[in-house]
Amino acid sequence: MASLERAGSLPRFRFLIVLTPLLCGLICAFLTNIPVSVLGGVVPPPLLALVPIYFWCLVRPDLMSPAAALAIGFAEDALSGGPPGVWTLSFVLTYALVARYRDSFAGLSGVAAVVGFAAASSFACAMAYAIVAGLALLTPGAHLPPLGPSVSELAMTVVFYAPTVLVVSWLHHKLVGASRGDI
Amino acid sequence: MANAWKIARKGNAQLPLVIVIALAVVLVLLGKAQSGLFDKARAHVSDAMAPMLEKVRVPVAGFDRWMGSITEIFSVYEQNLKLKDENARLRQWRNVAIVLQGRVGRYQQLLHAVPDPKMNAVLARVIGRANRPFLETMILDAGRDNHALPGQAVMDPRGMIGRIYLTGNRTSWVILLTDLNSRIPVTIAPGNVQAIMAGDNSPMPTLDMVSHTVVLHAGDQVTSSGDGGLLPAGLPIGTLVSDGQGGFRVALLSDATASQDVEILNFSKPPEAPPANAQLPAEAAGLKPEAPPPPPVPAATTPQAQPVKPKLAAPAPKPEAAAVQPGDTEDVDR
Repeated sequence: MASLERAGSLPRFRFLIVLTPLLCGLICAFLTNIPVSVLGGVVPPPLLALVPIYFWCLVRPDLMSPAAALAIGFAEDALSGGPPGVWTLSFVLTYALVARYRDSFAGLSGVAAVVGFAAASSFACAMAYAIVAGLALLTPGAHLPPLGPSVSELAMTVVFYAPTVLVVSWLHHKLVGASRGDI
Repeated sequence: MANAWKIARKGNAQLPLVIVIALAVVLVLLGKAQSGLFDKARAHVSDAMAPMLEKVRVPVAGFDRWMGSITEIFSVYEQNLKLKDENARLRQWRNVAIVLQGRVGRYQQLLHAVPDPKMNAVLARVIGRANRPFLETMILDAGRDNHALPGQAVMDPRGMIGRIYLTGNRTSWVILLTDLNSRIPVTIAPGNVQAIMAGDNSPMPTLDMVSHTVVLHAGDQVTSSGDGGLLPAGLPIGTLVSDGQGGFRVALLSDATASQDVEILNFSKPPEAPPANAQLPAEAAGLKPEAPPPPPVPAATTPQAQPVKPKLAAPAPKPEAAAVQPGDTEDVDR
């Protein structure tokens, strides 16, 4: 694998490197929504696409722009089969929250970093639930969605954060690099 | 990693963020107005993924079933005894059902009843499942090429699982009865109580639109009512169970998490031609239909300006003497 410096010196790969966070988010959205349940439907799949958004929003917000968060949320909506726009708006609002308190989130490390991500993903799940509940209230005779599956999804997302962020971090160091001047 | 957090600087992304949030809100509202916004894309994606899903499904299926039954592994003995008891009782009921089926057939012959519509069925395999907080669906390996169409009922050997809501060329998406957006007109027997069964993403759907005057009991049978002509009547769905709060929920007969092969029922009822608008109120009131308006005469008042006098309809003919009386059927039966 080419190192950061070598990759940055090749102009023809620059476009691909800039798109790495977005592509990573799209791949995570795709992996999450493969309609094969390996847990017998006991728990919903984790929101893997939120990990690249959170990670690169803190590390390289110039590469993970609001438009990229919008595109990843759009992919999540399109692939999940759910109501359109729910995860799009949820991811964008979460991006706004993380960007607003970026210094606080970025200062966390170790277990506190997991807690920080848990807070961000709690916000994302709460927003998604609120949007779906709001849409349900607009429909006559509709029921509010149960809270349990959202809590399960949140728990799975937090559990899968550590392995996913390891992969994302490895990709970041190998492809993107820490310094803005490299690209 | 800590260095990496500190290297990046805050960008001036406030304006794009506001615009992007506004775009996302518009997308939510657009999705509410046109729920089928992504349907075509989803159908293409599932069509393209179908071969890969079929290959992945085989090794995953065993693990999937094992995980699905892991909660029941400690109660296998009790369940076995319970199933043996239930099986013995069901055998008795099966004999009763066979006798009653023959009796109903004879009644239908005597009454010249309209036969039930013939239904073709397409056997399909479940190649994918999605269990998301706001969506419960499954993907089948039959699509428009196999004459699967949106709205058709999907059954497993025990009962109804859901309805097709999206079809590609080779795949179909099924909205499960437990999904938040599922609404099915049902009949509750005994009593022929009409209701709407609504999913709420819990394992047991709820009942809406039940008349306050009817009394339901746990164990009552729930079948599709056929209202609206989208689904055939009489498809087995489940039984009523108490929800512990004075209400009832429907325990489904089917098990969507374990079903591997399902049937898509091709039920198409010809749409009823609505009666002519001008005749409907008059006939409903027992009046003769109006005569067609005379051709317009120049320099005269229009037909609409003429007052219309209602005319009484001729008395209805008496029913034929040979009509079957309720007592007759009892005699025939005896």
